[in-house]
Amino acid sequence: MLHPQEILTTLDMLRHEHLDVRTVTLGINLFDCARRDPVRACAAIRRKIRDKARHLVAVCDEVGDKYGIPVVNKRIAVSPIAAAAAPLDAEGMLQVAHTLDETAEASQVDFIGGFSALVEKGIAAGDQALMKALPRALAETGRVCASVNVASTRAGINVDAVLRMAEIIKEAAALTADADGLACAKLCVFANIPQDVPFMAGAYLGVGEPDAVINVGVSGPGVVKSAVERALAANPELDLGRISELIKRTAYKVTRVGELIGREVAERLGLRFGVVDLSLAPTPNVGDSVGEIFQSLGLVSIGVPGSTAALALLNDAVKKGGAFASSNVGGLSGAFIPVSEDLNISEAARRGDLGLEKLEALTSVCSVGLDMVALPGDTSVETLAGIIADEMAIGVINKKTTACRLIPVPGKAAGDHARFGGLLGESVILPVNHAAGPNPFIRRGGLIPAPIQSLVN
Amino acid sequence: MNKVIISVLGQDRPGIIAAVSDLIFRQDGNIENVSQTILQSEFSAIFIVSLPRSLSLEQLRAALQAGLEPLGQHIHVKPVLPGTPAYVPAPDREPFVITTRGPDRKGLVARITAVIARYGINVTNLQAVFKGGDAPGDNVMIYEVDIPADVDQKRLRRDLRAEADALDLELSIQHRHIFEALNRI
Repeated sequence: MLHPQEILTTLDMLRHEHLDVRTVTLGINLFDCARRDPVRACAAIRRKIRDKARHLVAVCDEVGDKYGIPVVNKRIAVSPIAAAAAPLDAEGMLQVAHTLDETAEASQVDFIGGFSALVEKGIAAGDQALMKALPRALAETGRVCASVNVASTRAGINVDAVLRMAEIIKEAAALTADADGLACAKLCVFANIPQDVPFMAGAYLGVGEPDAVINVGVSGPGVVKSAVERALAANPELDLGRISELIKRTAYKVTRVGELIGREVAERLGLRFGVVDLSLAPTPNVGDSVGEIFQSLGLVSIGVPGSTAALALLNDAVKKGGAFASSNVGGLSGAFIPVSEDLNISEAARRGDLGLEKLEALTSVCSVGLDMVALPGDTSVETLAGIIADEMAIGVINKKTTACRLIPVPGKAAGDHARFGGLLGESVILPVNHAAGPNPFIRRGGLIPAPIQSLVN
Repeated sequence: MNKVIISVLGQDRPGIIAAVSDLIFRQDGNIENVSQTILQSEFSAIFIVSLPRSLSLEQLRAALQAGLEPLGQHIHVKPVLPGTPAYVPAPDREPFVITTRGPDRKGLVARITAVIARYGINVTNLQAVFKGGDAPGDNVMIYEVDIPADVDQKRLRRDLRAEADALDLELSIQHRHIFEALNRI
């Protein structure tokens, strides 16, 4: 017999607190699709994805119905195309991007990730071709997401790649100038990219993963916020240790939902279940915001002093709860702080409570990085590269994932408003210190060596 | 050894279970299963008890009545018949939970369970969680059911939703595992 409270809390999470399975992401290995001829490579890729993803959407919907938990997005992540299509030139890579886009549409998934390259120690021929194709690939397709790993704790930071990515971001923004540089919202530059992230835009299927695998992303900032508020209403004297415990328990519950759904989807598709990634991933809806959690904890706004400590508490509690709930926790698992995608964070930026520098500090303890940050259109390549390099350094030194999803909005200046639409949201354009200036440090290029692993302090 | 089922109903007060179990013990009976609950101010319990063959049903009933009437409790005693049960659950079935939420009204349970019964689905537990109080429109009913594998769930869901809409209720049907996964270690 179930206790009524078990049923009522579950229903409340679903009805009022936006609990859902944010994404079921099918990882598909494409290494066996490598061909010298782009037409044949594209045909092989199309065949393999269509075959593996044939029942994905129907099965996700069936399982979602069975448990009464909506699977909001169904997505596909593929092997890094720079390696899977390494023999192709930039033109061939572009054809692959279009093939991925069409196949995603035919498979009824909203995003396909993996137009990716891993270049933390050097740029190979396939990587070069993919990077050259990136701006047009992002501008000409709607569903293709790209990621490039330019740094890792074991390899250091490839500053040549950082600089190249800054150029690519500028080009992609220019190609979609009429949509506020929208193409950049589908591109992540990473340090220590995890190979099993189900969330976009960073999802790809890493080397060493199975031929096909189901990874699940669960969210639930609204659930955490409500739990904190309920607990504080019952006991206003609750200290931070107790609040952390509460968030941990809540994260446990949400993660269990993801695992239950993920395992059943994988079983019905006859595939391996990979990981569940519990990330507090906001949407631009009231009640589905990470920023609101900061206010529930007692901060006036995300960005004011105390915010980094609050985020550290939140991120760690989420990871602990997730790790206890499932032995297959992976991906990013923690709290995202995407500026435009979170109504509350976007508002904090507009009010001036949150600037680029504080955001950067927050990323040293959040689960990703500078995410969906709108910058002035005249931000120079070198300044952009400098911002990316700083963010990569935080990840490399702290042995964590960091990423940049930056949008230099063409023709707009700090204080102007950028609109990306839908889940990507909107945001004020943040001022950048020394935006348009040169940066000879970054221009030196080369590799910043991997950090020492002893003398930790 | 005879098996009987005893039900006890009456206003709740301390000492009812002590009295019932003492009476059973004095008749050399053994309590095998008990389910007991309190609804508002009313006590209710059912006991399955094994008794020595020498004890008749009438003797037991007389002893229980004598002991429990002073406590304001009504009893009913019935033999548990060996042999074929009246209902054999489908071997292939899945546990689901149907919840409705909305204004209380007459006939609500009758109309929802009519749909459930029409599909040959057995209700294994039914609870009314909240009635009246600060939010009279927020009456929650929880039906735990076993749905046989051969039931067309799409049709069942459609029919239940139609009934719920007519009653102005929010209805959900979810596999039981979601509640266990979320709340239990």
